[in-house]
Order: sequence, then C-alpha cells, then structure tokens
Amino acid sequence: MNSHNVTIAGYLLVVAAIVLLQLLATKTRAPIPSLGDLLTRAMRTRTGRVGMLVAWAWIGLHFFAR
Amino acid sequence: MAALAGLRAPVVWILLAIAFFTSISGKPVDGVLMLIVAAGLAWDAGRRALRHPGPEGAPARTGPLPARRRRFVVIALVAAGVAYAGVVGSFSRYSWPATAGIIGLSTVVVLIGWHGPVRARPDGERPPVAGTLAWLVVLVAGCLWELSSLLQQPSLTTDSYAHPTISTLTDPLMATSPGRMLVLFAWVAFGWYLAER
Repeated sequence: MNSHNVTIAGYLLVVAAIVLLQLLATKTRAPIPSLGDLLTRAMRTRTGRVGMLVAWAWIGLHFFAR
Repeated sequence: MAALAGLRAPVVWILLAIAFFTSISGKPVDGVLMLIVAAGLAWDAGRRALRHPGPEGAPARTGPLPARRRRFVVIALVAAGVAYAGVVGSFSRYSWPATAGIIGLSTVVVLIGWHGPVRARPDGERPPVAGTLAWLVVLVAGCLWELSSLLQQPSLTTDSYAHPTISTLTDPLMATSPGRMLVLFAWVAFGWYLAER
C-alpha cells in the first residue's frame, strides 16, 4: 500500500467514523448527540454562530475564490 | 479594550489560526477576510462582555413558519440555490466573477447570522459529554489528517500525489462546470442549514 492509498484510507476512515456516530446518535439509544444537535448547541451564542458561518464561508472561498 | 476582552472567545483564536494558515498557503484574500471577521467578532464579543457579563445570545427573529408558507419558502430557496450554483459554477475557479459570487453570498449569510438565529429553536439539553468527546476526536482527527497531508506536500502551494489534500482529491470534480455547480449547490444548502440553527 503506497502513501497515496494510505492517505485516502485515512480520509475514508474519518468519513466512516462520522457516518457511524451519526447512525448511533439517530438510530440507537447510545448517549451520543447527532451532528445537528451539536451544531445547534455550538451556535447558541453569537460567537459560535458567526464562527460556524465563517467556517462555512471559508470552505467556499477556499475552493472557488482567488 | 473591548477587542482584548473578546480575545477570550475560542472561536476568535480559531479564526485567527485559519487566517494565518490560509495566508501562508497562498490565499491572502481569504486570510484578510478571516482576519477582518476575527477582529470584528473579538470587538463585538468584548463589547458585549463588558456591557452584559454572562452568557451571550440573541433572540430569534421569527417563530416556526406555518407549513404552507414554509413549503413556499423552501421551493423559493431551492430555486435560488440552483440559479446561484448554475451562474457561479459556470465561472472558472479562482476567477474574479467566482470570487465576487462567493464573497457576496458569504457576506450576506454571515451578516444574517450575526444578528441572531433566523428561527426560534428549543435550546435542548446539554449533550452527553462522552458522545460529544467522540465527535470531537473524529473531527479533530480529520483536521489533523488533512493538515498532515498539507505539510507533507513539496510546498504549501504545490500539490502532492503521495499525500493528497481534500482540495487535491476534489480537483477533477471541480474542473468541470457541472461538478462545480453540484459542489456549490451543496455548499449553499449547508449554509442555509447552518443559518437556520
């Protein structure tokens, strides 16, 4: 397995963990909040809300803007 | 004084770190924009902390919409999102028209968020600590994996086949107009989802 494949496997592992946590949160009684609940919680305050929206804006800037 | 008090907000430091790494990665415009927001947020948070010590927050502007009105709003927003993705996605990446489109929408959404939640939502209970930590571990691991790939490139502005970043992996998709439109629509939809939190 070369470095390229190891790097991609790492990303896939993170994605799989996100899907697993979300499924555990929404389909079972495990004490895990869903990602939506966490985002809502993080965005209760103004700094949290603006911080999350700026992070979202940064994704757009990073992929499309000069 | 207010800005210094606002530096206690962790989000400000995260934005400053993003501004720094973005600037040294060859995207000074993004870095300056992040710096402006970080400074504005620090000043605003500090001003509020000095005036009203205690938990910050802003009241929601509207309550839940009636089902029929909500359906109409959803259809209108989806149509606007498709039109936006179609127009901005037709421009080349990193061109000035694409940059203007992204900065314009981002500014509007961040300003909307700055003034408070769009809709009222129940505050909910405090999430379980262990479950929250599990999420943090996974999300931080993802960020560190990306950062590790970035730092293993020949330089911060040169892609690496051996250690691709997410940007490098998505380049083939972004090279086509339909690919850009698809990604832009997903980005707009996620922004809308966040603005409603």
